[in-house]
Amino acid sequence: MKNRKHSLTKHTKEIAIRNLFGFFAFLSVLLFGLILVFLFREGLPLFKQISVTDFLFGTAWYPTYEPPEYGIWPLIVGSLAVTFFACLIAVPLGILSAVYIAEIAPGGIKEILKSVIELLAGLPSVVLGFFGMVIVGPWLQETFDLPTGLNIMNAAVMLAIMAIPTISSISEDALYAVPREFKEASYALGATKYETIIRVIIPAALSGISTAVILGMARAIGETMVVLMVAGGAAAIPESIFDAVRPMTASIAAEMGEAPFRSGHYHALFATGIVLFVITLAFNLIADYISNRFRETGSGTL
Amino acid sequence: MEKDFIVRTKNVDFFYGAFRALSDVTVDFEKNKVTALIGPSGCGKSTLLRLLNRMNDLIDGTRVEGEILLEGRNIYAPDVDPVEIRQRIGMVFQKPNPFPKSIYNNITYAPKLSGIVDSEEIEALVEESLRQAVLWDEVKDILTKSAMTLSGGQQQRLCIARALAMKPDVILMDEPSSALDPISTAKIEELIDTLKKHYTIIIVTHNMQQAARISEYTGFFYLGKLIEFNATEKIFTNPDVKQTEDYITGRFG
Amino acid sequence: MRSRYFKQRLFFGAVRLSALVITLALLGILAYILAHGFRAITWEFLTQSPTDSMTKGGIMPAIVGTLYLTVGAILVALPLGVVSAIFLTEYAKQGALSRIIRVGVNCLAGVPSVVFGLFGLGFFVVFLKFGSSILAGALTLGILILPTIIGAAEEALKAVPQTFREASLALGVSKWNTIFRIVLPSALPGILTGAILGVGRAAGETAPIMFTAAAFFTAVLPKSIFDEVMALPYHIYVLATAGTHIEETRPLQYGTVLVLIALVLGIDLIAIIMRSMFRRNKRW
Ligand SMILES: Nc1ncnc2c1ncn2[C@@H]1O[C@H](COP(=O)(O)OP(=O)(O)OP(=O)(O)O)[C@@H](O)[C@H]1O
Ligand SMILES: [Mg+2]
Repeated sequence: MKNRKHSLTKHTKEIAIRNLFGFFAFLSVLLFGLILVFLFREGLPLFKQISVTDFLFGTAWYPTYEPPEYGIWPLIVGSLAVTFFACLIAVPLGILSAVYIAEIAPGGIKEILKSVIELLAGLPSVVLGFFGMVIVGPWLQETFDLPTGLNIMNAAVMLAIMAIPTISSISEDALYAVPREFKEASYALGATKYETIIRVIIPAALSGISTAVILGMARAIGETMVVLMVAGGAAAIPESIFDAVRPMTASIAAEMGEAPFRSGHYHALFATGIVLFVITLAFNLIADYISNRFRETGSGTL
Repeated sequence: MEKDFIVRTKNVDFFYGAFRALSDVTVDFEKNKVTALIGPSGCGKSTLLRLLNRMNDLIDGTRVEGEILLEGRNIYAPDVDPVEIRQRIGMVFQKPNPFPKSIYNNITYAPKLSGIVDSEEIEALVEESLRQAVLWDEVKDILTKSAMTLSGGQQQRLCIARALAMKPDVILMDEPSSALDPISTAKIEELIDTLKKHYTIIIVTHNMQQAARISEYTGFFYLGKLIEFNATEKIFTNPDVKQTEDYITGRFG
Repeated sequence: MRSRYFKQRLFFGAVRLSALVITLALLGILAYILAHGFRAITWEFLTQSPTDSMTKGGIMPAIVGTLYLTVGAILVALPLGVVSAIFLTEYAKQGALSRIIRVGVNCLAGVPSVVFGLFGLGFFVVFLKFGSSILAGALTLGILILPTIIGAAEEALKAVPQTFREASLALGVSKWNTIFRIVLPSALPGILTGAILGVGRAAGETAPIMFTAAAFFTAVLPKSIFDEVMALPYHIYVLATAGTHIEETRPLQYGTVLVLIALVLGIDLIAIIMRSMFRRNKRW
């Protein structure tokens, strides 16, 4: 075997593989760019008809009227409203359950709860939408004597169920990442478990928890089927938590099927998609920024 | 008689990022002899060893200066394929690290990939390597069993057999018996003694007696520098440098 | 001192309550769907097409359609995801390129599913002229689950001990062979678990297939990848919201929901069990 040939070809093969793999890995970036390109390609033509401000801040969404009106302000408000109220429910539940899993729960319960949250994350959104329609809706309607149980409240509850797993599991990771020495130092100073959790552990994990909350919000604002089925569908600015709304995602999903190909309506729905895309992208970039900054500075600066 | 040096390093500096782990190391390794590298923990023994078969390539942010020559050829020259270097310079690690495969496949894995297809040749290679590593009698009936079921000492000999199956010229051993019991250690030392007829062996060890027992040459490192390189007998009886003596006699620090 | 422990008790109470609420929410939903859905589940329901303008009959075309779409999605996402993860963990751990790729993957993961639907419509259906079809839907879903697969594969690859790589490379085996014969087989269980979770995710998604693949109703099963298909999630949406027979078809709706849940959570459960099994049997 002493005559093993040393071939440059072997070398080049390795480099070729590396580059090929690099190209396929880069495909994710390309696809992301492609999404951007095609959203704009189909969405931008709208702005030959109306201005960006009229689109964003117009309060009338009558895409099928003659002449049509494409103001998505009510849709944006609808998205924000359901997201806000969903977070009111999901943030405390998500963070507290994460604290329970990471710091308090005994081994067996911890494993069970982790599976529960994983299964909850796996529930298809259409199932939650369906549940909201057939159970939560009629119940709300009866209890509060409403004209419809399909409203912000209903959507917020169902969206919260979708956001909880995101918030909980990411917060849990952040809590686990808190160095043991912090906890031990706190206990050694005579702090109770509660004080240690509130004063030491949660502050140390705060950036991770913030990331979790932001990603949970992004998840809620981008969620489609739930709001499509239970938010009520009224494209008007809501006045109470029991009003029906039409979030952006619901509008896109409900109307795209009927919008004539490359009509103003069709373009307006893609333009709404751009707005949605930009909002969720911003959320994700902020979350990314927070968690990266945290990683770079590390625990030493806390 | 002119000595035949198979591996030589010339003024080698090595950096992990900004940290200089080796400075100005020049040492020649004689063919078919055992050379031991000794020195306190963190002095750069493993670093030097891993430089010799370009394993440090795997660590990001490292830098080599100076030359390392294998039979006169600089192994860090741009046109050199590290794969070829590693085929000629095998390595045995501190902790036994067999693959989660059968004993047989652990041995045949690398030779097959290097192009041996003839099944008789492969089988002969398995037996020969295992015999050389003094493991054949223990495993000849369980070749298809997972290597993970072997004892630590057996696993380490399997790792040696696996390296031998590539028929390298040089074998690097980084504290090969430090994780093993005394009996396994004795077996490994025995087999090193027989291997040196055909192979050049460079071994890192913390065990002075081991170095004295098995090696012809010894290099003493301290803080990234080669303090003394000499015949083992000389190093252990009458070293040239005071530091070496202090270290060997345990009066160090 | 007493007030300190009082606060602690209050806090622990709240924490336990939140865990309880979440568990009850899941169990409540599952129990309710199960209680109402199981009566609809018959052999006919699972093996027949809808009849009488979808007020009777079964959901077989929707089951088949969902299977086609998810299998298609995983065929797209698994190879791409594994190759990407190999590149990120084995070839370019640091550096500008891998940073860009990671940002790209993260951004892709954050895109709302309905936007994937729009993209699929604009790109696959319209631009590439695939029409509303299995192909367009599977590609859209495949891209949707790609970040999940990449993440899972990366984690699995990172869990392979570095000593395996070193042992192989030190024998003079090329990097490619080391990855392909040592690293990848060791990471396979983890990768498969991730892939299964991805399948579960793809099977339950509705918005991305609404404009790219899903048909309201098809009498026959698809014959090629350019055909539209019915799909379970979309079928639920259609039955529950469209048409004049919403109340009448409730049993069908519950049944379909139950089938979808059983499918998706069953897949997730398999993945969870597989994962804990591999963790326990790990040989290193
Ligand atoms: N991957 C690495 N990154 C940064 N520094 C390293 C790395 N590996 C080793 N070092 C540093 O280089 C120096 C030499 O390490 P090396 O492992 O070569 O020592 P050694 O002589 O083999 O010690 P030991 O007897 O404990 O095995 C040490 O100070 C160590 O901290
Ligand atoms: Mg060492």
